[in-house]
Amino acid sequence: MMAILKEATIGSINSIIGIIKIIMPIMITLQILKDYKILDRITKPFNFLARMFKTSDSSVLPLLVGIIFGLSYGAGVIIQTANEGNLTKRDLFLITLFLLACHAVFEDTLLLVAAGGNGIIIFVARLVAALLLTYAVSRHISLNENEELIPAREQA
Amino acid sequence: MLVASIKTGFKKGLETTWLLAKVIVPVYFVITILKYTPVIDWIAYVFSPLMAIFNLPGEAAIILVLGNVLNLYAAVGAITAVSLAPMEITTIALMLSFSHSLFVETAVTKKLGVSSVKVVLIRLGLALASGIIMGRLGGLV
Repeated sequence: MMAILKEATIGSINSIIGIIKIIMPIMITLQILKDYKILDRITKPFNFLARMFKTSDSSVLPLLVGIIFGLSYGAGVIIQTANEGNLTKRDLFLITLFLLACHAVFEDTLLLVAAGGNGIIIFVARLVAALLLTYAVSRHISLNENEELIPAREQA
Repeated sequence: MLVASIKTGFKKGLETTWLLAKVIVPVYFVITILKYTPVIDWIAYVFSPLMAIFNLPGEAAIILVLGNVLNLYAAVGAITAVSLAPMEITTIALMLSFSHSLFVETAVTKKLGVSSVKVVLIRLGLALASGIIMGRLGGLV
């Protein structure tokens, strides 16, 4: 039992170190890009996603971070964005839905390719499923419903 | 201005790390303990007859269970241990890409205010649907 707890402790510490190694550079880079007004120009080409799902433009950044770096990191940026008061409850739900189907596309896909899977099928299937699912659900949640801006902290 | 940006980014990074750590560490302890109980093997045993609907052998169940309970790394390790055809690996990899690390990732999404039951059902639903489709397509090739 002691050995198991030791493994869990070491494993937990390693995963926190792993998080720090990824989240710190992301957060610092994003902040610099934001303060120097470069971030908007990077996310702008992807604003069609926000139009497609009828979400606010602020939802594009957490979506991109989640797609590239993964669900946990995306969630971190979602919470930061929500705390700044730029996301509605509807935005939050739709981003999460998209990321559930499609996140960490590089890491996950490469890992499964390494195991012998077909990377193109996996990548395309996840992207298409996320787009279709989020689009379909976005048509079913009314825009007026839950329109208030809610800091994610309140629900935590 | 650059120093101020770095400071703010650093603070946000720490906040986010703390938030994720609070969620991930307890779950990590639970699944590490779970790994040393026969529970994972039982679940795999129960689900092995179900593998036929994905055109997969019964042994494939352990790969799916490891991937969903633990993480993709554990599943990939198991894929190499079970001998599977390339099409079968793609089927299982596709299913895993939709649904993996359920305990850790569901705990994280719960912080976003989305219900755990919904999260798990959506992901398992996507895995099930993609597995059935890919299993059929693989059978045609």
